[in-house]
Amino acid sequence: MKGSIYKVLGVLLVLYSMIYGLLMDIPEDTFLEETIRNLFYHVSMWFAMVAMMGGSFWNAIRFLSTENLTLDRRSFCLAEMGMLFSFMGLLTGMMWAKFTWSTWWTNDPKLNGTAVTMLFYLAYFVLRNSIEDTRKKARISAVFNIFAFVMMIVFVGILPRMTDSLHPGNGGNPGFNIYDSDHRLKIVFYPAVIGWILVGTWIASLRYRLKTLQE
Amino acid sequence: MKKILRLLVRFFHQEVRNSNVLFSLGLYLLGVSYLIYLLSDSTTSDTAWNTLLWVVTFFGSVQLSSRSFEFESGNYFFYYQTIAGPRSTIIAKLLFNILYMVILSLATWALFSLFFGNPVYNLGVFTLGLLLGSAGFSVVLTLTSGIAHRTKGNATLGTILAIPLLLPILKLTSVLNLQAIVGVTFTETANLIGTLVALDIGIGLLAYLLFPYLWQD
Repeated sequence: MKGSIYKVLGVLLVLYSMIYGLLMDIPEDTFLEETIRNLFYHVSMWFAMVAMMGGSFWNAIRFLSTENLTLDRRSFCLAEMGMLFSFMGLLTGMMWAKFTWSTWWTNDPKLNGTAVTMLFYLAYFVLRNSIEDTRKKARISAVFNIFAFVMMIVFVGILPRMTDSLHPGNGGNPGFNIYDSDHRLKIVFYPAVIGWILVGTWIASLRYRLKTLQE
Repeated sequence: MKKILRLLVRFFHQEVRNSNVLFSLGLYLLGVSYLIYLLSDSTTSDTAWNTLLWVVTFFGSVQLSSRSFEFESGNYFFYYQTIAGPRSTIIAKLLFNILYMVILSLATWALFSLFFGNPVYNLGVFTLGLLLGSAGFSVVLTLTSGIAHRTKGNATLGTILAIPLLLPILKLTSVLNLQAIVGVTFTETANLIGTLVALDIGIGLLAYLLFPYLWQD
């Protein structure tokens, strides 16, 4: 009972952000118009992804210091979940870009960062598949995971700030901060982020239990 | 310190003894540069020049690193571990690879200057970008080839792991080098150079900390 509180909360928050995100009035003075609602569905995916990858990174560090194989399994399941979020974030973003920038893909630093992040983690899965010995696999992939996460933070967090981006909030484009004087967007956006992180943790924990049973 | 120096000398001897590898790398650089020269007309734009320079350096260093741990096959790992320990080995390996890749990128630059002329306006910033980029390259490649080596000689795996990890460094360096070509002054690129230096030091430290874990069996 105690363990299921966060699951219920996660589902409720996601449902709230989905339904109320469509129903609410948006600020009138944005030139993004109705597409600003994608803030709830697209941007929250990235926050959830970074949270999942961060959890995976943290478990990889703990694995290297304790050699406890359950931590490695946890790290792997969280990375899988992060990958799923990044796919969904990419899909929602591409749809939004088609209507706002009239193209599915542009040479934008944030888009490049996403593509490279997905390559990192695909390489991580390839690495895991190519080693037979469980303990060795766990150790080597933890090393790669830590390295990849740091590189991801550099590419997603630092590099876009060095160059101009088409995204709202970069390169002279107004971000959502200037519209939130009435906090209307924030009261949907933050619950969406928390909800997706909770749901992601739930799915990852289910995957974790399944993998434990399989082994 | 003494151990590191001795390992460096050892790596150097190893390289001289296997000079065919060095020659094949030189031939690769010459061949690819000449290929580009044949295929393109002589009036390449600065952006294309910079991109091609980095693509050639990129594949050269990937090729170089794929055999970075080749000679350390089998029991050499245990030999080094008992003689010098993993920490000294990784530092020696990093220094050696940095030196190697700096030479590689400088050679590529020289070849490109020969075939296409040298469009670089600010030579100092360009050289600095080349040095920092090569240093970052060698850190990533040393770690990934170490990983690939531990998976029992799967050479393509090292490349697969390295390519995405190299992209952030490649992107930053090529932006810096493009600015150097145009002639932006040192003070204006200080921000970018600082980021690159911080990135190099950060990943170097990370590789240093993580490398011993690769050794355990």
